[in-house]
Amino acid sequence: MTQDTVLVVGAGPSGLTAAANVTAAGYKAVMVEKEDTLGGAPILSGYAKLVPSGEWAKDAIGRMVKRVEDDASVTIHKGAKVTKLDGDAGNFTATLSNGESVAAGAVVLATGFTHFDSINKPEWGFGTFEDVLTTTQMEQMVAAGKIACPSDGRVPERVCILLCVGSRDRQIGREWCSKICCTVSANLAMEIKELSPETDVFIYYMDIRTYGLYEDKFYWKSQEEFKTKFVKARIAEVTASGDGRLLVKGEDTLVKRPIVIPFDIVVHAIGMDPNADNPEISQVFGVGLEKHGFIERAEHYTNTCGTTRRGIYSCGAAYGPETIDDSIAQGAAAAGRAVGDLHALVQKAS
Amino acid sequence: MATYAEMQQIFDDIRGDFRYDHELNGCLNCGICTATCPSAQFYDYSPREIVQLLWTENVEQIYDAMQEKIWACAQCMTCAARCPFKNSPGGLVAIMREVAIKHEMQSAKDVLRPFGRVMLKLITTGNQLSPDMIQPDHFPDWGPNIQKVEGDLRVLRKAIPVKTLQTVETAWEVSLKTSVEMYTIWEMTGVLKSLELMDENLFDVIEDFIDEKREDYEDWLEEQEEEDDD
Repeated sequence: MTQDTVLVVGAGPSGLTAAANVTAAGYKAVMVEKEDTLGGAPILSGYAKLVPSGEWAKDAIGRMVKRVEDDASVTIHKGAKVTKLDGDAGNFTATLSNGESVAAGAVVLATGFTHFDSINKPEWGFGTFEDVLTTTQMEQMVAAGKIACPSDGRVPERVCILLCVGSRDRQIGREWCSKICCTVSANLAMEIKELSPETDVFIYYMDIRTYGLYEDKFYWKSQEEFKTKFVKARIAEVTASGDGRLLVKGEDTLVKRPIVIPFDIVVHAIGMDPNADNPEISQVFGVGLEKHGFIERAEHYTNTCGTTRRGIYSCGAAYGPETIDDSIAQGAAAAGRAVGDLHALVQKAS
Repeated sequence: MATYAEMQQIFDDIRGDFRYDHELNGCLNCGICTATCPSAQFYDYSPREIVQLLWTENVEQIYDAMQEKIWACAQCMTCAARCPFKNSPGGLVAIMREVAIKHEMQSAKDVLRPFGRVMLKLITTGNQLSPDMIQPDHFPDWGPNIQKVEGDLRVLRKAIPVKTLQTVETAWEVSLKTSVEMYTIWEMTGVLKSLELMDENLFDVIEDFIDEKREDYEDWLEEQEEEDDD
C-alpha cells in the first residue's frame, strides 16, 4: 500500500532520523542512498569527534545507522538514486537507478550538502602545497591519531585554521555563513593540541559565531585550556618560504599593519555548498531551489518541513548549512509532518 | 585647514559619485585588502582604513586621508579582486582623487605636478614618455640606475637592437588625426577641466597648442578634399 510508506532520500543524520521516526509512528520507510555506505557526511568524510557531544562520529552516527538497519520496517537501497518520480501527494511512484520502483505516499529529501572545494580559492594554496589541508582532512588526521605535516612527516610547530573558506565570499558567489565552521574549528584546535601538545594553533577569523551554548564550551575553552590564538584577519595569500614552511599573509586588523607569518600546516575551514546534485534533484522531484541553490522551503512558520511541491518534505543541510543536532531535529520534524499529512489523507478518503 | 562644512561638502561629492554605491557595499573589517596591498607594505596607507572612514562617514578623517594617504595607492585593484564583500577600495580612492582635484586641494597639485611634463609631451607628440625626458632630476624615485642613461642619448638609442625611430624626442609617430581625437576625448572626459584646476599655466599652453593642431588638421582635411576634386 502506498499511503503507509514514506520514501526517504539520503542516509545522513537527518535522513536516518526521518526513517526511524516514520517507523516509530507505525509507518514504513524506504531509504535510498546514492553511496554504498550509510551515515552521510560525518561517516563518508571521516569526521573526528562531534560538536557538541565530543563523541566519535563513527560511534554516534554508527548507532543511528544500526537503529535503521535493525528496523524491519525500513527497506534500504544503497548505491542507488531516484531517477524519476510520478504521481501526487499520497500516491507517488519512484523509479530507482537500480531498476526497482518504490510506491510511497510521501517523500523526505534528506539530501544534505557538498563540502566546498578549496581548489576554487587558489590563492590559499590548496592543491599547490601539500601542507595545506581542509578541515575534513584534518579531522581524518585527528581520527588517525597523529598530527604530522603531509610533506615530510614532521610534527608541526604552528598550525593555522582559516575560517570562512567558501563562505561569506561574494567573489565566488557564496554569500552565506556556513554556520558550523567556527565551532568545528575551535573544537579541531583543541583536538590538535590534545594530540600534539607542542603544536600551537592559530585561528584567523572575520567574526566568531560560536552561537548559543557553544560560546564557553568551544570558543572560551579553546583559549583558556588549549591556548588557541584567535586573530581577526582574513588571509590574502598562502605562499611557500625557502625552508619549506608556509607563509601566510594577512593584516592584523587590530594592530593595523600587514603581517607575514610562517606556519607548518594551513587548514581551510571549508563551508557547506548546496548539494552538487541539487539541479538534478530539483528536476527529478519537481521541487524549487532558493537563491543560493539549497532546497526551497514551502513556508517558514506553518509548513516548515515542506518544499514547493505537496507531499515532498525536506530537512537538515538540504535546506541550508546546518549542524548535526539541528539536522536530527529537522529529520524528526519532517517525518512527523509527512506521516501526519498521510494520516489526514487516509481519514479524508474513508 | 578646512571648515567642517567644507569637509562635509568634500564627502558629499565623494558619496554623490555615480560609482560610489557600486564600489562600497559594507565592510566586514577582515583586512584582506590591506593584507594584499603592495602600497600598504611600504607606506602609511591601508585600503581597509579608507573603506572604514567612508563607511562610517568620518568626514574629518576622510579629509585628512586625502592630504597624503590616498596618493599612495598604486591603483592595482588587487584589493577589489580579494574583498569578500566585493568592495573596491581602489575604486573609492579613484573617486577621492577626482574630488581632491575638483576641490583644488594642495595635495593633488603637489602629487600631479611632475606629470605636467608627461602631459605636455603627450599633447605635443602623442607619446607619454620619450628618451630625452629620462634625466636624473626628473625621476628621483627611479633610483641610482638612472645615471646609466646620462650621456649621448642618440648613441645609446642607436645601440638598441630593435627598430626605433632613431630620435630622442619621440618614441613613435602619432598621426595628426589621432592627436585631434585624443584632444576631444580629454575634453569630453573632463581631463582638461581637471588640468585647468590643477595648473592654469600649463592648461593655457596646452589649450593654445590644441587650437593650433586642430587648425592644422582642418587645413589638412581641406587639402584632401581639394585633391579629391581634382
